[in-house]
Amino acid sequence: MTGAGMQAWILPLIPAVPLVMACGLLIWPRQRFLIAFAPWAALSGLICSVAVTPSLALDLPWLLLGARLGIDQTAQVFLAFTSLLWLTAGVFATGSLKDDENKTRFFIFFLLAMAGNLGLVVAQDMLSFYVFFALMSFSSYGLIVHSRTAEAQRAGRVYIIMVVAGELLLFAALVMAAQAAGSVLFADVRPTLANAPTQNWIVVLALTGFGIKLGVLGLHVWLPLAHPVAPTPASAVLSGAMIKAGLLGWLKLLPLGADTMPIEWSVLLMGVGVLAVFYAAVVGVTQQNPKTVLAYSSVSQMGLVTVAVGLGIALPQRWPEILATILFLALHHALAKSALFLGVGVARSHLTTKWHRWCVALGLVLPALALAGAPFTGGSLVKELLGAEAGFLLAPWSNTLKLLLSWSVVATVLLMARFLYLTWPRAAAADTPATYSMSIPWAVLIATLLLAPFYAGPDSADLVWSLSTVLSSLSTLALAIAGTVVGAWIFAKISRHRLPLPPAGDLVVVAEWATCFVLKAVDHAVRHLDRRQRRGATQIKAGWARLRWPLAFDYAMDLAWSTASLLFLLMGLVFILAIAI
Amino acid sequence: MTWNAALPLLVLASSLVPGLIIFCLPEDSKRTRTLLNLTGVGLKLALVAFMVWGVDQGARYEIRLPLLPGLDFVLRADALSMFFALLSSILWLATTVYAIGYLEDSPNRSRFFGFFSLCMTATLGIALSGNLVTFLLFYELLTLATYPLVVHRGTETSLRAGRVYLSYTVTGGVVLLAGIAWLYALAGDLEFTAQGFVAGLVNDHQTALVAIFALLIAGLGVKAALVPLHGWLPQAMVAPAPVSALLHAVAVVKAGAFGIVRVIHDVYGIETAAQLGVTAPLAALASATIVYGSLKALYQTDLKRRLAFSTVSQVSYIALGVAIAGPVATIGGIAHLVHQGLMKVTLFFCAGNLAETLGIRDVTEMRGVGRRMPWTMAAFTLGAFGMIGAPPMAGFFSKWYLASGALEAGQAWVLVVLIVSSLLNAAYFLPVLWTAWFEDPAEAWPAERFYGRFETATTLLVPTVCTAVISLAVGLFASMPFSPLQWAGLVASLEYQQ
Repeated sequence: MTGAGMQAWILPLIPAVPLVMACGLLIWPRQRFLIAFAPWAALSGLICSVAVTPSLALDLPWLLLGARLGIDQTAQVFLAFTSLLWLTAGVFATGSLKDDENKTRFFIFFLLAMAGNLGLVVAQDMLSFYVFFALMSFSSYGLIVHSRTAEAQRAGRVYIIMVVAGELLLFAALVMAAQAAGSVLFADVRPTLANAPTQNWIVVLALTGFGIKLGVLGLHVWLPLAHPVAPTPASAVLSGAMIKAGLLGWLKLLPLGADTMPIEWSVLLMGVGVLAVFYAAVVGVTQQNPKTVLAYSSVSQMGLVTVAVGLGIALPQRWPEILATILFLALHHALAKSALFLGVGVARSHLTTKWHRWCVALGLVLPALALAGAPFTGGSLVKELLGAEAGFLLAPWSNTLKLLLSWSVVATVLLMARFLYLTWPRAAAADTPATYSMSIPWAVLIATLLLAPFYAGPDSADLVWSLSTVLSSLSTLALAIAGTVVGAWIFAKISRHRLPLPPAGDLVVVAEWATCFVLKAVDHAVRHLDRRQRRGATQIKAGWARLRWPLAFDYAMDLAWSTASLLFLLMGLVFILAIAI
Repeated sequence: MTWNAALPLLVLASSLVPGLIIFCLPEDSKRTRTLLNLTGVGLKLALVAFMVWGVDQGARYEIRLPLLPGLDFVLRADALSMFFALLSSILWLATTVYAIGYLEDSPNRSRFFGFFSLCMTATLGIALSGNLVTFLLFYELLTLATYPLVVHRGTETSLRAGRVYLSYTVTGGVVLLAGIAWLYALAGDLEFTAQGFVAGLVNDHQTALVAIFALLIAGLGVKAALVPLHGWLPQAMVAPAPVSALLHAVAVVKAGAFGIVRVIHDVYGIETAAQLGVTAPLAALASATIVYGSLKALYQTDLKRRLAFSTVSQVSYIALGVAIAGPVATIGGIAHLVHQGLMKVTLFFCAGNLAETLGIRDVTEMRGVGRRMPWTMAAFTLGAFGMIGAPPMAGFFSKWYLASGALEAGQAWVLVVLIVSSLLNAAYFLPVLWTAWFEDPAEAWPAERFYGRFETATTLLVPTVCTAVISLAVGLFASMPFSPLQWAGLVASLEYQQ
């Protein structure tokens, strides 16, 4: 066996190690040793992303319908930040959940979701990707409802409905893609898809199916509900690593870089993306829970990702550069967001001295600044790179997009200011002490985040240091801070007048309200009929009771119906829009 | 008589002979009965496994005995029959072990196991029959052998369910007989042949062939629980758990589905059937059944009733796959014969474990049961995810092939049916999982029994876990030789001559 052939056998280990450990915990639930080592199951992924040459592949023809695991440039970047996040969040969890009575259950779900998330990064065929995607999505349900409070149950319900809807949309997309290509390998599917007659269907199904995971505007409703209720380390991986799986799905499946994608998709994605950046900021800044604010910040940032993908469709000849930008954007957001989430956990623990509190405050401000694009951070690099690519668009659009991108800094600063205001470490906030197993992984993430822009690419360090980048990021930041002051003033006004503020989960609340309204209205009408002793009233009453029963069943099917119909409606609208344009 | 001719007979004898002996055994000779049962199962499994290997190598196993003038009693092993035979033998092993544990100390065990073996003989006969007459013979035998199992408890409800069962299936049998007789009058031949034997009659007897098809499908559809002929199935769930498991996974329901596959493939031939225009209505009927069954399942709180309606829905995947009339969809449908069997047997075993150990029969009583019986509920979870069609469970691959096949045949509407069905499956299985795993247990279980070391009796737990693991493995290793999917590919290729 050649060296590369031997090397390739590390690939199945990446998902297998956490899977085996999860099984071990299932069989020996009281094994403390297994829990202590659970985070390190992500290590093989980290090693692989650093040490292994890209373009490594391993075919397992006996697995599923012929599986292929492999690593390319994209997978390497995703693997690096995904495994780092799972490792650090896992170590953090061993500290923060030390006294939790259900920590074994937590770590079983944690390991299963980890296996799914790491596995889907190295999956190079649709079937194994789908398997890992499902494993990750269903297992993270256990992380979200971990506390089992009413809030967590509701979040879990919305989440699982969105997951099932997403799985089914993806099922349709993948079957159609496999049918069009006659193969299940992404490498074969992507080029065929560019010319397939069913291309538009596959694209709309994939955009919505993966869009749910990514939190694309309209499909983002689960994010602000799920992220705050999950234990802190779980929120970190949910928001940092797992939502990127949706992005990876787009990158793997869609024929990006081929010039046959209709331009309408680009318009649509950029429109939805820009809208998300600002919408999420407006809703997010009114939230009371710092983790909800962070969740909305993720929606906002994923709006930027959506814009970047739309840009890639519009400029297929620039795809390699745009892909590099997207990868860095994903990496940067993953590190910053998970650092912020872990920061919430640290800031909420008992900080004894003033010195501790200042350190924690610094640890919160640094990633916030990085996300907002302060000079010498990855954020400024992201803005610079995206702006440069936007310059390749046609005349009125390029300047408009550049302007909107600089305004997006305002959105981020607004959210980060609100976040810092809510989390600022105070004395005697809680009685659980912060342990080294919490602070060290947090520090590692922050350090990686600050160093990342200097090692991201051959010219990235020069670009970060260059005067124009520094100046432009300084000027936008100044603008943004001015905007934040105005925003804070407006917010103060709003809260004084007790205006109704948007609830977390914005759109889904409307759906819930509408369903309840309809159910109650029909209840009322049926009661009314019954009182009037109209003919057939008894039958109608009985029929409605039968029909309503599963609707009111434990799991509140009302939500299922409303959200699913909303989803399909949205999908239809998108499609009609795409054709109409 | 050569060995190759004797093998099909031996396969039948391996359950018939122990069954007949068991009838004569006294009630308390438990050890002899168990020994006989397990010897029969082991022998049958070995014989069937050997035949599967032989069929793969191209051997022919056939025995032909004159029955009536012009009509033979034919047992023959081809790819499809071995597929069904292997499924039945494996699940019979699991169910027998389960039944031995389940019926511990209950009355009339000799009667039960006797009919149990007869039922298995009939199922294997159906699998191996080489023409429609032999098929009908065993099909009727199956009806008669399962009746005593359904009413085994002898309660008022089970007797009523038994009456319903008999009236449905006997009527179905009569309709089937009428169809077969008419076909014999028309074609003068009833031998199962790849690509069918009626192609020559299409020009002259088109209407008659369509009518015969309708009769045959109506007769078989009773057992396959096609809507509106499914009424008996949810009632028959009053039977003891191993019987339900067998009924839903292998014996009765599958006999109907298997018969439909035989009629379309080996009597009419897929091309002729498509030419007659009978496949499209069947596909529509199967789709309606799929959606209707899932919808009804949503309304049931009795666990076994919910599973029964789920069977109504899932078994129609088989008919749908065959009726789509494309090679890929056929693979999906035929593979589902096995996939559904494995998953459903697991789920019924779990329901039996819950009822037997804790007295739980209703979904609402399952709060927190995951802590009390983790292995059973883990198996249930695998089965439920398989039914929903989540990868890499076996059910996902059936769905994947059905969907690809439908797209290939230009019938994209099937995709919508599959998605709606999966959505409904998720809607009635996921809440159960939430209740079992995440809710706090009630203070006391309805009727708890303790079995020592494990959460329940070993004979109940081992078959449950084994079938669950197998239904995961056949999905995970779907591309291995001899996996159900590969074997279904072989069956389909014989029909489509690829």
